[in-house]
Amino acid sequence: MDRQQEFVLRTIEDRDVRFVRLWFTDVTGTLKSVALAPAEVEGAFAEGLGFDGSSIDGYTRIFESDMLLQPDPSTFQILPWRGEEEPTSRMFCDVLTPDGEPSAADPRNVLRRQLSRAADMGFTFYTHPEIEFYLLASKEPGPDGQPVPVDQAGYFDHEPGGVATDFRRHAVNMLEAIGISVEFSHHESGPGQNEIDLRYADALQTADNIMTFRTVIKEVAQLQGNYATFMPKPFGDHAGSGMHTHFSLFEGDSNAFFEPGAEFHLSTTARRFIAGLLHHSVEITAITHQFVNSYKRLWGGGEAPAYVSWGHNNRSALVRVPLYKPDKAGSARVEYRGIDASANPYLTYAVLLAAGLKGIEEEYELPEAAAEDVNALTAMERRALGHDPLPGTLHDALRIMEESEFVAGVLGEQVFENYLRNKRQEWDEYRIKVTPYELQRYLGIL
Amino acid sequence: MRPSTPGSSAPAARGANRSGIPVPAGSPAEAGGFSRGVLIGTGFTDLDRARTLLASSELDRVDHETLLGILADAPDPDQALILLVRLLDRAPGAAGVLDDPDRSLALARLLGSSEALGEFLIRRPDHVDLLTDPTQAAATAPVLGPEGLDAESSPLRDLLLASVEADPSVPEPVAGLRGKEAAAALRIAYRRQLTALALQDLTDPDPQGIQPKVSAWLSDLAGAAIEAGLAVSRADAVEQYGDDARGVSLAVIGMGKCGARELNYISDVDVIFVHSSTLADGHRSATIATALAAGISRYVTAAAPEPGLWEVDANLRPEGKDGALSRTVDSHAEYYRRWAHTWEFQALLKARPIAGLPELGQEYIDAIWPLVWTSSEREGFVSSVQGMRRRVLDNIAHQDRDREIKLGSGGLRDVEFTVQLLQLVHGKTEESVRVRNTQSAIRALERRSYIGRKDAQSFAAAYRFLRLLEHRIQLVHLRRTHLMPDRPRARWVLARSSRGPGEPGPSDADALTAVWKRTRKDVRALHEKIFYRPLLSTTAALSAEEVRLTPVAVGERLSALGYLDPAGALRHIEALTTGVSRRASLQRQLLPVMLGWLANGPDPDGGLLAFRRLSESLGSSPWFLGMLRDSSAAAERLCHVLSSSSYISDMLEHLPEAAAWLGRDRELQPMPFEAQWQEIRAKMARHPDGDEAMRQIRLIRQREILRTAIADASGLLDQDAVGHALSDADRAAVLGALHVAENTMFGHPEARQDEAGELTDLLLVAMGRQGGREIGYGSDLDVMFVHRPRPGADPDAAQRQAVELAKQVSSLLTKPCRPPVLAERPLIVDADLRPEGKKGPLARSLESYQEYYRRWADTWEVQALLRARAVAGDPELARDFTAWADSVRYAGDPGPSAIREIRRIKARVESERLPRGADPARHLKLGRGGLSDVEWLVQTLQLQHADTRASLRTTETMSALEALVTEGLLPAEDGQVLHRAWQLASRIRSGIVVWSGKNSDVLPAKRQDLEAIARWCGYEPGNAAGLEEDYLRCTRHARQVFEKHFYGA
Repeated sequence: MDRQQEFVLRTIEDRDVRFVRLWFTDVTGTLKSVALAPAEVEGAFAEGLGFDGSSIDGYTRIFESDMLLQPDPSTFQILPWRGEEEPTSRMFCDVLTPDGEPSAADPRNVLRRQLSRAADMGFTFYTHPEIEFYLLASKEPGPDGQPVPVDQAGYFDHEPGGVATDFRRHAVNMLEAIGISVEFSHHESGPGQNEIDLRYADALQTADNIMTFRTVIKEVAQLQGNYATFMPKPFGDHAGSGMHTHFSLFEGDSNAFFEPGAEFHLSTTARRFIAGLLHHSVEITAITHQFVNSYKRLWGGGEAPAYVSWGHNNRSALVRVPLYKPDKAGSARVEYRGIDASANPYLTYAVLLAAGLKGIEEEYELPEAAAEDVNALTAMERRALGHDPLPGTLHDALRIMEESEFVAGVLGEQVFENYLRNKRQEWDEYRIKVTPYELQRYLGIL
Repeated sequence: MRPSTPGSSAPAARGANRSGIPVPAGSPAEAGGFSRGVLIGTGFTDLDRARTLLASSELDRVDHETLLGILADAPDPDQALILLVRLLDRAPGAAGVLDDPDRSLALARLLGSSEALGEFLIRRPDHVDLLTDPTQAAATAPVLGPEGLDAESSPLRDLLLASVEADPSVPEPVAGLRGKEAAAALRIAYRRQLTALALQDLTDPDPQGIQPKVSAWLSDLAGAAIEAGLAVSRADAVEQYGDDARGVSLAVIGMGKCGARELNYISDVDVIFVHSSTLADGHRSATIATALAAGISRYVTAAAPEPGLWEVDANLRPEGKDGALSRTVDSHAEYYRRWAHTWEFQALLKARPIAGLPELGQEYIDAIWPLVWTSSEREGFVSSVQGMRRRVLDNIAHQDRDREIKLGSGGLRDVEFTVQLLQLVHGKTEESVRVRNTQSAIRALERRSYIGRKDAQSFAAAYRFLRLLEHRIQLVHLRRTHLMPDRPRARWVLARSSRGPGEPGPSDADALTAVWKRTRKDVRALHEKIFYRPLLSTTAALSAEEVRLTPVAVGERLSALGYLDPAGALRHIEALTTGVSRRASLQRQLLPVMLGWLANGPDPDGGLLAFRRLSESLGSSPWFLGMLRDSSAAAERLCHVLSSSSYISDMLEHLPEAAAWLGRDRELQPMPFEAQWQEIRAKMARHPDGDEAMRQIRLIRQREILRTAIADASGLLDQDAVGHALSDADRAAVLGALHVAENTMFGHPEARQDEAGELTDLLLVAMGRQGGREIGYGSDLDVMFVHRPRPGADPDAAQRQAVELAKQVSSLLTKPCRPPVLAERPLIVDADLRPEGKKGPLARSLESYQEYYRRWADTWEVQALLRARAVAGDPELARDFTAWADSVRYAGDPGPSAIREIRRIKARVESERLPRGADPARHLKLGRGGLSDVEWLVQTLQLQHADTRASLRTTETMSALEALVTEGLLPAEDGQVLHRAWQLASRIRSGIVVWSGKNSDVLPAKRQDLEAIARWCGYEPGNAAGLEEDYLRCTRHARQVFEKHFYGA
């Protein structure tokens, strides 16, 4: 038993924790949870906790037998919204095969593999996500069939006494209480839409934090009698919810993206990393935008860049290099803007990191930066400048991903196959649905 | 301080030098006047040069007779003389030394052992006081004290810091000297200490005894040099970064030999840097720390007026040469907690702060060092220990590295690995063995009875002897070498320098070589003796000197080897080694090393049990024990087979005499079909009784399968050869069965009165993979029975007879025999692929086939015919059948509608034939990109093109695939993808049977199974997930290729 595990056991006893939730995710990034009595925790550390993998998306059909959850003691946290009455805590888990090896089907393991590849190259990968979501009055749509937002405020609006302001205060407190540092929070452009930025952390921790974040946000909303959603595009007329993420690579304690005197202060490593992101951005779109609904946002304009491009402080570009702050060499970073709020953070960061590393390893050439608004260009102009479009539908994205050796290599054959299977099924279900749009458009005239 | 060394014996040197060669007294003292005999007696080889040098003016004031007496003590008198002359030229005052017997001996030993240090004195004659005035010199060059190994701080740090004008009394001194001046001063101070040390080392009467102290002192000296380098580097940093530089502290952690205080005279010094900082800006702290660290290396190594010392090697740091040069303690701890590989923890075993801020170094050690001992709880510990063990064994295999003292077989590395291995295995529970130093570790392991007293002594003595040789060899030129010199003269010099003055020891090159060879042999034997032999100690009667491990300690070692059930293993060991029989006593000898070999396989426990069974069924037969005793290759192969295959183990248990093949590759070559058939005919002739003859035939088949499996496991056969060998064995058996069936029905051929009983000739045609001679272990025999009624025979009666014969053949191959053929997997004859399947008649006449194919056959039935191969029966009928089959199967493109039909059937088979719930990605035969995808594609192309391209006319899938590529019908890269997928799937299928003894078409999910199969497929240990990933990838690619060409996507 290591010190971390002892610490967890001691805390459980000291704080009289009644339930320990073990968390893990399926391939689509849905949080799964098993509650454990405190007495069982020591055993779970030693031998893992068995569960039936066949009922979980992405674990299906791989192993008929049980799988094991191995709690990661460094992720132990008391869940603040449960109050002091019956303290409840959680730990993230790695999923293991019955023989105790990391399961190839576990998204957390997919990210771990890439992180250790980065470590082998001498890098630590830090990420800093900006997560958008909508706060709705309830889960049920209003009389017009549209979701009902809690307010009608806009970007950075301050609404005195507004629901969203209160909500953000609660949520941020809750997040801090669970050990997630918040950098920034504000009202976004859509009605009821909010953004909260998490402080940078290494990618595995960020991914765990995002999973926790989604839960916290939903819990707090519920406590207030509202409903929070990370659906990429709940309103046709308003902006969708994205999850732009800033990346930086550190070598030991120094930022590998920073080079004083270079263009935009970007080191060669940074340029190759960006080139890698761009080069692979099309084939990984099915991961960064994983739902049918994701593509409604991606092609709905606004803050969702849909063309392969990069630029210095250019918000229309897929990869943005933020303005450099002269006193902060350590903060040199790049922002990948092609992720929506519903993405599976483990798989998303794994493919993006891998793309960047591949750029570094194979010394990709970075194309020229886009200086103008990429969306404002004509299709022909974009073609001439080499700004290829991202896929237009989940179906297109899957067709491209199917052919991708790169994605297969990063996800591993098993996750690759399960993911594609799961997503193809989603597409098949979607395309036979008759939508309100069709009824509205065709019923009257045909 | 102690009185100068072997003074008491020195006067003896007057009359006779220590080689025992008398120096004739009263020889002419005149320069050049020495006789050859005197010069040779002194030990010169270049006599003319010696004469010239002796005549040089520097030696004018020296009594030549005395001088020769002194030079006779020099390990290399030629070298000593010329260095002496040059030294006196630069420092005439040194001549006085020659009058003092003690000091002159030291001079001779130094100049005769180390050209490099002689050159140093010539280059820097100021330091000749080390020779001329040892008492005075001692104040500035500390003498090795009795505390030697245990001294934590030494005056060396102060002396080297003083050399660069830094204040030693502060924890983080800043040098006054800078640049190349500082570098030179530091290096000169270092070499002064090195010379002082060498003088003591070379004059000590017991150089092996003093070796640990010398090594400890060398490590401290290296640490002091790094400390002084850091002081200069710090001065640079202050200039460059101003006050910020004072906010950053650096500590240097010594790794490897320096960390363990067992450094040699010249070696890279392995270090790790750690820093702490009071600055807010972590980036700037890191920049300053990196500058500090890089500066050390510059002042120790880079070009300056005095040559550099050695490389400061920081590549053991986290992330290796790609990682940051320095990190904070937290950052190190984070790395080791999350990313480090198991071997990195092993490297930490020797970590010790050697320079820089002491508290910071200690903080690092407190945070990191304990991790070494918990590393055994990490995943992969066993496999990494096994990797270490393999490295030891690999070294032993390198016969050509004959001159290596360190890496060669029986070299220093072997000692170090063995000791570290035991430390890691037992250090988990026994804290007292957690020490850094090899020799301390040997003592600690002995004290806790993990090594026997005598073994510990021999091991430590061997280690010290090898280290002494290494020291002396390096001392000559201060070059990093571990090679035993080749030339006899150099060995002669080495023999003399590695012996203390007046000390018995190897006195000439041959004696030295002999002692060295014996030591290497001892070291090799000791590894086995120290690690493996004690595994028997809870059960077998070991001699009194041998260590007796507790059952717990034995369990620890067995688990570290990979035995999952140490208690069970102990029981088997006990059963195998108890008793007074010849077998038990031989096994007591053999088992220790066999336990290691068994542990190399995926199932050591199963292997040990299988060996016990085999030994019990065979143990009394002298050849078995003889083979194990005399052929270690055979014993090793046996262990490998037993621990990787229950299929082979089972068969071997019942056919134990097959163990005799293990030592002879020739016996493992597959027996050609003709030879098998000849043997079968002989058996039939000797056993007129059908049942007995059939039993003999089945025994032969069983034996040949076993032969093939052992050869396969030993890496002697490729996949194709295995398929051919197994198909041949089946064919011989089925041919035998047909003859037995005919003999039973019609009587023995010679005894048959007339042929009235025989109405028809029967032919067995192998189909499917049997037809292609590409079967695996445990495959069925897919056949069609074809017959041709004899002229004039009644067709119906002939048909009945053919069916009857066919049934007989099947039954003979499978029905129980008496006594039974144990562990047999009977050959099951499967005729379900015949026209009309199970509803159709079991046998048909050739005419009936022709008729059927002409009128009814579906395209898939033509396709099935592609792999039809006549295997047993009337040769003429076989010829006619084949000619007819060719006319059908190679008739040319069956046309688009037939091809469409094939595609449709394939698509249906894909969805229907797959067992319920099976994962298509893991089904080897019917899964995506599996065997059947490849075969259907190849066969379809054969149907379309074999009429015009004769090279496609083969029943073998891989030959056909190759031909398709050669003919340009498939792109080469696509062919390769299909080839690899098909081969891998076939190999895995074989692996499943061989490992588990069961047939299965599904890639296993259990790690242990996958691991075993991965090894069968040639992967390194620990690659279960790698095989899985490769298989899934290969077959995904194969499926893409298949879809492109087959469905035309």
